[in-house]
Amino acid sequence: MTNSIEEIEDAECIFLIGTNTSEAHPLIARRVMRAKEKGAKLIVADPRMIQLARFADVHVRQRLGSDVALLNGMMHIILKNGWQAAEYIANRTEGFEEFEETVMGYTPAKVEAITQVSIRDLEQMAEYYAAGSPSALLYAMGITQHTTGVDNVKSCCNLAMLCGNVGVRSGGVNPLRGQNNVQGACDMGCLPNVYPAYQPVTNEAAREKFSKAWGRELPGNAGLTITKMIPAMLEGTLKGLYVVGENPVLSDPDAHHVRSAFAKLEFLAVQDLYMTETACLADVVLPGVTCVEKSGTFTNTERRCQLLTQAIKPLGNARQDWEIISDLSTAMGYEMKYQNSEEIFEEMKQLTPSYAGMSYERLGLDGLFWPCPNSEHPGTPYLHKDTFTRGLGKFHPIGYKDPAEMPDAEYPYFLTTGRMFAHFHTGTMTRKSAHLHHEQKTGYVQMHTGDAKKLGVKTGEMVRLSTRRGEVEIAVVISDMAQEGTFYVPFHFAEASANVLTNSASDPVAGIPEFKVCAVRLDKIVHGENRK
Amino acid sequence: MEYKLVPSICSYCGCGCGVLFEVMDGQLVGTMPLKSHPVSQGKLCIKGWNLHEHVISEERLQTPLLKTNGALQEASWDASIQTTAERFKKIIAEHGPDSVAVLASAKVTNEENYLIQKFTRAVLGTNNVDHCARL
Amino acid sequence: MKDTVKKWLEEKQVDMFLGYKMVHGHALPYCFQADRLDEVDDLVVSRERYSLEKMATHIAAVYPEMKIGMLARDCNQRALKVLDIWDQLKKDSVTTFNVNCCPSPLKNHGDCSYLEPSPVGPVKVELGIDNNMSVEHAEHLDQKERFAHWMYEFSKCIKCYGCRNICPVCFCKDCSLEHPELIRSGGALPTEVPLFHLVRAAHMAGRCIDCGLCEDACPMDIPLRLLYRKVGSSVSDLFGYRPGIDEGKSPFNLIGDAPTTEPRPI
Repeated sequence: MTNSIEEIEDAECIFLIGTNTSEAHPLIARRVMRAKEKGAKLIVADPRMIQLARFADVHVRQRLGSDVALLNGMMHIILKNGWQAAEYIANRTEGFEEFEETVMGYTPAKVEAITQVSIRDLEQMAEYYAAGSPSALLYAMGITQHTTGVDNVKSCCNLAMLCGNVGVRSGGVNPLRGQNNVQGACDMGCLPNVYPAYQPVTNEAAREKFSKAWGRELPGNAGLTITKMIPAMLEGTLKGLYVVGENPVLSDPDAHHVRSAFAKLEFLAVQDLYMTETACLADVVLPGVTCVEKSGTFTNTERRCQLLTQAIKPLGNARQDWEIISDLSTAMGYEMKYQNSEEIFEEMKQLTPSYAGMSYERLGLDGLFWPCPNSEHPGTPYLHKDTFTRGLGKFHPIGYKDPAEMPDAEYPYFLTTGRMFAHFHTGTMTRKSAHLHHEQKTGYVQMHTGDAKKLGVKTGEMVRLSTRRGEVEIAVVISDMAQEGTFYVPFHFAEASANVLTNSASDPVAGIPEFKVCAVRLDKIVHGENRK
Repeated sequence: MEYKLVPSICSYCGCGCGVLFEVMDGQLVGTMPLKSHPVSQGKLCIKGWNLHEHVISEERLQTPLLKTNGALQEASWDASIQTTAERFKKIIAEHGPDSVAVLASAKVTNEENYLIQKFTRAVLGTNNVDHCARL
Repeated sequence: MKDTVKKWLEEKQVDMFLGYKMVHGHALPYCFQADRLDEVDDLVVSRERYSLEKMATHIAAVYPEMKIGMLARDCNQRALKVLDIWDQLKKDSVTTFNVNCCPSPLKNHGDCSYLEPSPVGPVKVELGIDNNMSVEHAEHLDQKERFAHWMYEFSKCIKCYGCRNICPVCFCKDCSLEHPELIRSGGALPTEVPLFHLVRAAHMAGRCIDCGLCEDACPMDIPLRLLYRKVGSSVSDLFGYRPGIDEGKSPFNLIGDAPTTEPRPI
């Protein structure tokens, strides 16, 4: 997030696109609701009738995967009416002319045809967003999990810059991160192309700095993203894998494909809390511990680094994850000896400029926002105040592209996936919890009444969903939350796994798979029929 | 008899809500909101309120497992770590460092993620490290 | 206060004392014990309120003989009375150090700052319910309008169960809110409107001690305290019974005569 969570309350307009905030980020939904009750305008763009859409001043149900067109359409109207922040654009940005030219091609009529959003609603959205001072844009995986994920994000940034909403309190472009420490994992350099604090591995100075600190020669070529690792495993070029606290067999798209890739590995080590679907395939399983059994820090979606305090001893023979990694390293001839997590933090911050001013003592119970470059620095609740990281903010001309797979005669419906309020990710944690299990015991496909009538199916009925990748048997839930023509399946449940169905086609830049759109067919299950 | 409330951070979504873990005689018995936390202001969602339940689940792995004769069997830490180290060393010796990769985690701490990428780069000698940010 | 608590611990009048301690600028509930007597110097009253009596029930469920001391505002006192009546925490096992408290119709005065009226946004006033509204005021609203306003508030619910989980007098082992014949589980949000909140309101009749912790724990600022005050006033009008003040069990009760003391997760 460019801005902090508490700032949301003071926005004059909030634009939610591709985020079911009250189910996936409930305590951010609280701030959205409070802002709304203080008088902010609320715009929701989501194909489903999500809870916050009930409170929106305008809710549009754009056709799945049409976000670039929708955002370009809003910007077209803003420019046509002269609602843009001209001074901000002149002083703080570049690339405006080329961008303007592209956007002017997205007339309301054209956008209506692509997105199925009425011109009237489009105008209303544009007006509310442009009039808000400041307006905060919030998005989540509904924007990023597309083959056009990067285009979608850039379009969000274009909109925010067009109205001067970046670098101001309560404005910003705010991706809501789905995992407690996904921000931290990125900050710490768990990405194939960057070291901690996003220092590129291909940059010689950076490589030298880390090489010197760690006392080893370091590779200069960027590594494989997770979506590239799967094909490399299938081809046999990637032979050994160490998985810490992830369940790619369930969380990755096109699960059958992923399983066969894992089967080809020569060696698989998995470090986890449970026998996950991935751990079942491992050659060695190393039991780590939960956040309750460890100390250390997490960095939340607003870049606030916060301290955990160990509350209980590790269960049984399980060990601290950092100890396991250190021991493995030592066993491989590179000695790692740390007394505690604080010692690791102290080493990390020497090499990570955005964390340099933090210490466990300073974090206390409130944490600190990065960048926090020195020990006097108070931390940075919102970014890009006077200047962007790259100097001027860059407008990108972005054209609309169809998703990789669109419905056709054989697979006539759209399928989208997501989370529901009582469960989390692949369910490895939440499905072990009695109270959460009570809320939702297994998967389901949510569909519109109209579609259910057409298909002759009832709530509770088991049906077969199939895509070009695979098929699952799953119970129907009829709900007008669903958009007609689009089915929704939560991805928490291995036995009704959404990712057997999803498309592994991914964004060419970010490598993010298109979980949010694919084409699907539904067949009734005839009693006594043999499974295909 | 020992009873304490330990301030910490919820480990589900990216909000980073403040929690208090209720611990009696070294056993985790409950989760409650940290009232004055700047993000969550003394409120939690259903997942946060039940955070302790997955921690004390009977399905937690409590000892290392090593594949022996085709099946995973309980093993010592020493044997498990040694085997892992040797297998990685062998693959790297035969096929080079880019034939191995590591998936880090959006669930473990910054300190642990720092070590994971340090291990991948400095010890395994590859930049093949990623995590499920995109998933 | 500190001297008294030290004396209680030293003389074994109590085995432990539940109060608050400052940690990095935050007042956190803390269990003071005789073997760490000097820590009592850090004891504070705290602006934040936690249900210390609920923690005490968790301790008493495992250690029934434990003599528990605790810091108590008036609301804690009322909760303790209800817990004693329903055999969840016997009054003989608890010694309180009393401090001043917040305003409530169940008492005559109060000076705790915590539940002072907090400003409510204009849209909430227009569409929903002002959390500072009195029962009398709410009853003057047109019935149709009142219904619409409550439905607005209930439809914000994200089903965290925080209102139940934090409640010092919610102790049923099997909770009606999780009874499949009363409330459907799972699916999407919001949860069943208005059933979820009305089921809970019915169960708070004759039990709610008007501490306001439920509303304080609500991520969506639903005016739960007002709702339960209404059911409380109905019970008071019909049966002349005020929970936490009057002796004996409520004549209006939905929990039976022998609630279990078997511990359940908070």
